Amino acid sequence: MSLASLFKSGVFLDLYFVKNNRANLISFLLWPYLMLILMLGAGLLFGSTQSFRSNVGDVDPIVFFVSSTLIASASLSVMWDVGGAVLFHRWAGTLPYVLLAPYRTSIILVMAYIPRYILWSFIQLAEFLPPLIIRKGIYALIIDLPILSISLIVGMLPLLGFSAIFASILLITKEESNILSWLNPIILILSGAFYPSYLFPLWAKIISQALPTTYTFELARLSALMSAPGAREVILIIGILLGMSVLYNALSYTMLGKAEERALGSGSI
Amino acid sequence: MIKAIIWLHFLRLWRLRYSFLNMVVSNAMWVLLLILGVLLFVPRSQLPYALKSAYWTIACWSVISSFSSIVGGWTNFFISLGMVEEHMLRGISPFLVISGRLVVASLVSITTIIFMGLLVQSLFSVPLFDIRPDIALISLMIVSVESLLYSLLISAISMRSSISEQFLEIMNFAVIGILIVPISVIPEGLRVLYLSIPYVAPAYMLKVASGSEISSLFIIAAVISIIETIALLLIALLAVKAAESHIRRNGTRAIGFY
Repeated sequence: MSLASLFKSGVFLDLYFVKNNRANLISFLLWPYLMLILMLGAGLLFGSTQSFRSNVGDVDPIVFFVSSTLIASASLSVMWDVGGAVLFHRWAGTLPYVLLAPYRTSIILVMAYIPRYILWSFIQLAEFLPPLIIRKGIYALIIDLPILSISLIVGMLPLLGFSAIFASILLITKEESNILSWLNPIILILSGAFYPSYLFPLWAKIISQALPTTYTFELARLSALMSAPGAREVILIIGILLGMSVLYNALSYTMLGKAEERALGSGSI
Repeated sequence: MIKAIIWLHFLRLWRLRYSFLNMVVSNAMWVLLLILGVLLFVPRSQLPYALKSAYWTIACWSVISSFSSIVGGWTNFFISLGMVEEHMLRGISPFLVISGRLVVASLVSITTIIFMGLLVQSLFSVPLFDIRPDIALISLMIVSVESLLYSLLISAISMRSSISEQFLEIMNFAVIGILIVPISVIPEGLRVLYLSIPYVAPAYMLKVASGSEISSLFIIAAVISIIETIALLLIALLAVKAAESHIRRNGTRAIGFY
């Protein structure tokens, strides 16, 4: 079985998933807009865009929440589908097969997941283009689209490794309860998903600096600035994300390897 | 029999205690995430009012959402284990067993509301529990009963035709969008109509208890809540009876997970 086969299986898995689960597809397309409408609607009911600007700075609130929702949704997908994959395989009874497959578990989790990530995150980006074009006109295509695309791709790299660390923990703990789901909203909160991390107290700021998602949100939100973002800022954030990719992926490769060895020795269920 | 059903649900709760804790913390964190986003729009001077209103609306929604997923959503698990037929053969209504999830749903809701409140209160220094406890308790009880009846209704429907869980979640999400609207922004002539939307009247009572809503329509809201609960009770009972009779003749159909 080659790596290309793993990748291909990921592509087919998702295509057939969509074909056989139309309700899931509709729900998937609706969710980001529901979230966005709720945030903006509730925000405007209790406050105003002027207050938003005085709290956050000179940014467009709609573009701010569009970019935040897009990245939050993509990050959640990585954390669930890579980090929680061990749990899903354990529930389905397929975990022993994944562990006994010729490739390492980390490779299987990542390679089978990448097609899903690319497909769904870019569908969501396309879904959000109309409000971006309405707000920023042609600049949405020249500035926002490239920034958000880069955020989705570069932001995924460290998050894959970061999430695989949780997969290794789940492999070791042999716990069937969904002990992971509370971590996802905490990670999003500390990454400044809907509330910028620079407004946090110091302790929260320190934690947020270690999370890859913080920089992905920052990069994506450059599109919400009323002025054009500086190239230096973009390159700096991309650099940090690439550095984190090396760090987290090396760490997760080692951790998942050790967890896999342990699971092969003493069982995984 | 009722004692055995309550024991069953307590026992499951104890065995799946990490899932219970996970659910409580996870619900609270999602709410915090939402509140933080909304607060970016709020001027500092209006923070106590906005926070109280948003918090109690979300607390109310959290009860509705917990009940529909913990009671209604559990039906799928119950059916897939083959428990519907097992219970019916022994003369026990499967809906009575499903109703026992009230224990779990109530515990999750209460713990989530307290944990979430303490967390938000400590972060923003706004006294969220400075409310009228009698009205708050009655409102939360009405919301819980309505949610339980709604959950039984969807359980009954799901045993006759498949319902996608995704749509149930979207429905839950739509509810919060309706509940969060302050009554002051609704035109006067439409306020009673707005209160007649399921869950809105008890949610309004809860907001009155927290002092974040005008109390002029309180009596009307209380009357609407009672009528609504009785109507839901009748509909749920009819649906349950119809479902049981349908299962005896045709068997069950599982609720769709995707």
